[in-house]
Amino acid sequence: MGRLLRPGLLLLAAVVGLAVAQVRVEELTILSVDRTVDVSSQVVLISNKIKLENTNAASTKVFLFTVEPVLKAHLSFIGASTNNGKTGLKTSIVQIPGNTEALAYKIELATELAKGKTVDLEVEQVFTQHLVPFPSEITQKEKQLVKFVGNHYVYSPYTVKKQSTKVTLSSRNIESFSKLKPYSQSDNIISFGPYENIVPYSQSELIAHYENNSPFLTITKLDRLIEVSHWGNVAVEEKIEIVHTGAKLKGSFSRFDYQREANSGINSIKAFKTILPASAKDVYYRDDIGNISTSNMWSKHDSVELTLRPRFPLFGGWKTRYVLGYNVPSYEYLFAEGSNYALKMRLLDHVFDSMVVEDLSVKIILPEGASNIKFRPPYPVKELARSLHYTYLDVIGRPVITVLSSNLVENHIQDFTVEYTFPKVYMLREPLLIVAAFLILFLTVIIYVRLDFSISSSKPGKGPTGNEVVVENVLRKHGKRAQIYENFDSQLVKLKNNKDSGSFQSALKNMQTEHKTETQAINDIASKHRSEAPELFETITELQRQDRGFWEIYITYSQTVEKFATGKMPRQQFSEQEAQFIRKRDEFAEKINQIIKNL
Amino acid sequence: MYISPGGRVLIYSIFAGYISRSVAGSYDNEGIAIFALQLTYFFWVKSVKTGSVSWAVLTALSYFYMVSAWGGYVFIINLIPLHVFVLLLMGRFSHRIYTAYTTFFILGLILSMQIPFVGFQPVRTSEHMAAVGVFALLNAVAFLKYLQRFLSKQEFRHFFLIAGVAAAAIVFAAVVGLTYAGVIAPWSGRFYSLWDTGYAKIHIPIIASVSEHQPTTWFSMFFDLHILVCTFPVGIWFCIKKINDERVFIVLYALFAAYFAGVMVRLILTLTPVVCVLSAIAFSSMFERYLKDDENPQADQSGKNDNLYDEAGKVRKMPHEQNKDENSIGGNLRIIVLIAALFIILLFVVHCTWVTSNAYSSPSVVLATYDQNGRQILDDFREAYFWLWQNTDDNARIMSWWDYGYQIAGMGNRTTLVDNNTWNNSHIALVGKAMSSTEPKAYDIMTKLDVDYVLVIFGGLIGYSGDDINKFLWMVRIAEGEHPQDIREADYFTAKGEYRVDEEASQTMLNCLMYKLSYYRFGDVRIGGHTGFDRTRNSVIGNKNIDLTYLEEAYTSEHWLVRIYRVKKPWEFNRPRIARSARKIKTKAALTKKTSKKKKGSLKNRPTIVKGKASRTTV
Repeated sequence: MGRLLRPGLLLLAAVVGLAVAQVRVEELTILSVDRTVDVSSQVVLISNKIKLENTNAASTKVFLFTVEPVLKAHLSFIGASTNNGKTGLKTSIVQIPGNTEALAYKIELATELAKGKTVDLEVEQVFTQHLVPFPSEITQKEKQLVKFVGNHYVYSPYTVKKQSTKVTLSSRNIESFSKLKPYSQSDNIISFGPYENIVPYSQSELIAHYENNSPFLTITKLDRLIEVSHWGNVAVEEKIEIVHTGAKLKGSFSRFDYQREANSGINSIKAFKTILPASAKDVYYRDDIGNISTSNMWSKHDSVELTLRPRFPLFGGWKTRYVLGYNVPSYEYLFAEGSNYALKMRLLDHVFDSMVVEDLSVKIILPEGASNIKFRPPYPVKELARSLHYTYLDVIGRPVITVLSSNLVENHIQDFTVEYTFPKVYMLREPLLIVAAFLILFLTVIIYVRLDFSISSSKPGKGPTGNEVVVENVLRKHGKRAQIYENFDSQLVKLKNNKDSGSFQSALKNMQTEHKTETQAINDIASKHRSEAPELFETITELQRQDRGFWEIYITYSQTVEKFATGKMPRQQFSEQEAQFIRKRDEFAEKINQIIKNL
Repeated sequence: MYISPGGRVLIYSIFAGYISRSVAGSYDNEGIAIFALQLTYFFWVKSVKTGSVSWAVLTALSYFYMVSAWGGYVFIINLIPLHVFVLLLMGRFSHRIYTAYTTFFILGLILSMQIPFVGFQPVRTSEHMAAVGVFALLNAVAFLKYLQRFLSKQEFRHFFLIAGVAAAAIVFAAVVGLTYAGVIAPWSGRFYSLWDTGYAKIHIPIIASVSEHQPTTWFSMFFDLHILVCTFPVGIWFCIKKINDERVFIVLYALFAAYFAGVMVRLILTLTPVVCVLSAIAFSSMFERYLKDDENPQADQSGKNDNLYDEAGKVRKMPHEQNKDENSIGGNLRIIVLIAALFIILLFVVHCTWVTSNAYSSPSVVLATYDQNGRQILDDFREAYFWLWQNTDDNARIMSWWDYGYQIAGMGNRTTLVDNNTWNNSHIALVGKAMSSTEPKAYDIMTKLDVDYVLVIFGGLIGYSGDDINKFLWMVRIAEGEHPQDIREADYFTAKGEYRVDEEASQTMLNCLMYKLSYYRFGDVRIGGHTGFDRTRNSVIGNKNIDLTYLEEAYTSEHWLVRIYRVKKPWEFNRPRIARSARKIKTKAALTKKTSKKKKGSLKNRPTIVKGKASRTTV
């Protein structure tokens, strides 16, 4: 396959006045052309096998190939080769003086063609949206008929000695076709010719009106997003809008007929196959309202084959859209040399067989920090200005290459190359960011916990001294007392269980001394501040009084427990006494807590 | 092991998978609303406890969030005043409550009025008057308390009687007067339907028609709450036993939520949080009682440890209500009780998981059936909605029953006549009328409403019971409510008063739009030896040859679940035939295709006209 050209774009270039080389038509003769026209799918594939002779005086390297004016808008792809397709030839668009309407291509031969020598060439053309449904609207039960309009002769600037054309249709059901003798028809193939000694630029309308129920499915918009991660993954996501461009559905759609009759809606599209790279995984197929539950996936040894079924069958004129995404490992597509990288991937990938893409937009997102970016397309495309893409943990943004193209077919599934520089150290940026963020968070918490940020401080020395400090001291002392009571409780429980009155007595003695110390301390504090805060003194005295009562009932109760533990008291009497104790204790506790609260 | 009570509440609350009732695409709003509801109540309890303005402001803010999320905010604005009112009756007035309520009420009122949908309702409808009344009452009480300082006991009692009666009378008279004057709207029907379960059925069929608005059965109560049905009254009992300001609130919440949950299935949602909390209280008090260690050797140590981190200002409380008659429980009994309780909790967890995975996790928009081949997904709804989105005009208007309104808007991106916002009943009644009328009458309504497509749900092919034919009686009832002269429910029943779709069905039923759209061409479908056998209603349909004049089938999903019809434009049907001589644009007499083969007189692929279909003769 040779170097390829994007005719549409170059035409545009010609229109806006960019210089297109003018080429003189040299004296060459085409000895013979075997043309096959394949119109069995929605695209028109024309392949010309040309035998060329140099009848010029001098040797030449240039062969011109022209496309009919009516067809040039539909031309999507052209490619030339020699040596039975082994050697690709370079093609470029040119202008021929004297025939400005036709689209002309200059094909550079592999070697100089000396005078009188011959060479075999093959030129392949693909035309899109050239087959017209006729009639343009059909009901559900009708078959789809399409009309192909072409040329009986090869449209060439050179004289053609002998030529023949073979048209392959999709079915033997032919309504009509143009009959330029000699011709023959067998099954789904119509053969024209041979025609001899045809002058340059001859045209004669070739028409074939035949049944074609193959899917007429056009991708009106394909947004392909390639996101490169240096952690080993390349994510691909394609947003695809498709429309059935065959004969439109006339009248109503009947689900009953569609389900019961095999021929009902024969041109409708139920499903199509998409082929993904063999390493594709995590494939998803969804649309605006979620996962589309009707799809199947087969992993084959050299590809992943998806059978995608749109939510509803597509009839003529109906459209739908979906998102298809997958991941591929980066080692298959990303090549490195030091910190220089090259990404080699398909600019356009397979969606379905004999597909037609009206508008393609490819976005390639490189890792953050990539520089020296060079994009090498396989064929001329329109490159938009570089932009930036921000996602999680991005600071300066990821560079994005955006590329637009239009009117593409399967022949355009070719690799692009992006070269860029990316220091490996940059990979650490994101983990470090997270580490730093957590570090800051923890530091903040540490600082917050360690320091006091309250407006009014209750710490002595800072805030107002006097009563508050007194209360604080009293409360601290009282807290210790409360701890003694808790200890008392547990000692009592212990006594009840192990009935060891000796150890209890010693514990009791300790507690008694502790309690006395704390009580005395509180008394000291209170008396010290008696004159300054008489009200406070009153309250503290009350607290002391209640506490004395509390202590007393504890002592009484401890004696009861001791009696019970040593067996001097029957169980019933004990439990009565215990209940009494608990009631009293709760009363006192309530009072004391109340006092503390009011302090 | 000793977990703080708060921790225990949290643990049990996590168990209740029912809060997630609203996951999986049912109602997003309610999922948010339950969170907002709980947040508001949490802040409210906090502000009652502390009496701090900041907590009360937070209460008002989360109330604002709730108002913007769900109409159920009325529950808050009645429950909180009720709480305050009950506290007043119990003589528990305090400045904490005063601060909390006045702050919350004023801010909440102003904020809630910022929501366009609510607007001036908080000051103009009876639903909100309780809050206003309590606000006035609270201020009156606060004023009296203030006066109490200056007056003697005797004077005060005298004054209190007069002032109290006068204030109550003025407030009551004002509310009644304003209601009569029309300034304040009276209670709405929705409010009545909460108290009288029969009310909605008679007066507002649209409320009664919603399956979520039916009274709750014991089955669904148990299905949703399981063992908590039994334990949450225990929690209430514990709360009442040790009543304080906050516990009054939770008791009131529990009582009212339980009542409302009994009235409407949907309101179980508001009950679940309080059930969780109360059951947690019940379980935790039980464990507290049965799990407490006998010997407390670690008590000292832990006390000391605590002390290390104790802040200076905090004071240990005196030993209190602890160690109470603990020795009255034997070890064996403890173990038995504990094991039983743990077993119940275990069962509860299993039940929750099962319910969540089986009943509440399937999005109702995607159906699944199970057969010998495994699970079959029926994605018909999204199929049809996406078809609408992709293959109808952007401005197309869809007529369907209101149940599918939000779905069509969300998944089909198209305008609908009526949707799940059922505030405006008359529009829904008009759609109901169109569905229950004959095709020509329905066409009149549809042209007036500019309908482009009609969407019906039909489950007869696969046996889906929630389809439009089963809902149809409600459409008739709602239509009858607004248009009693055109639609009568009795017309749609058989002579015996049965609702049927087979041959015995009434002529009105067999010829109404809904019937025709549901069964169009279904009479040709052969299932199990019958043609036109409806698997949902287990009968052969009564009208097998349905012709549509004013509509045409535009799309039917794979399992016939969704059927979409296009309404024809007036020029597309009943076109008068103009004689050839009178035509302005002359067309060729006939189209001939003279190709080489056809010239020879062979008839190939010649169209033949078959009059009448075989199936149509077998009526």
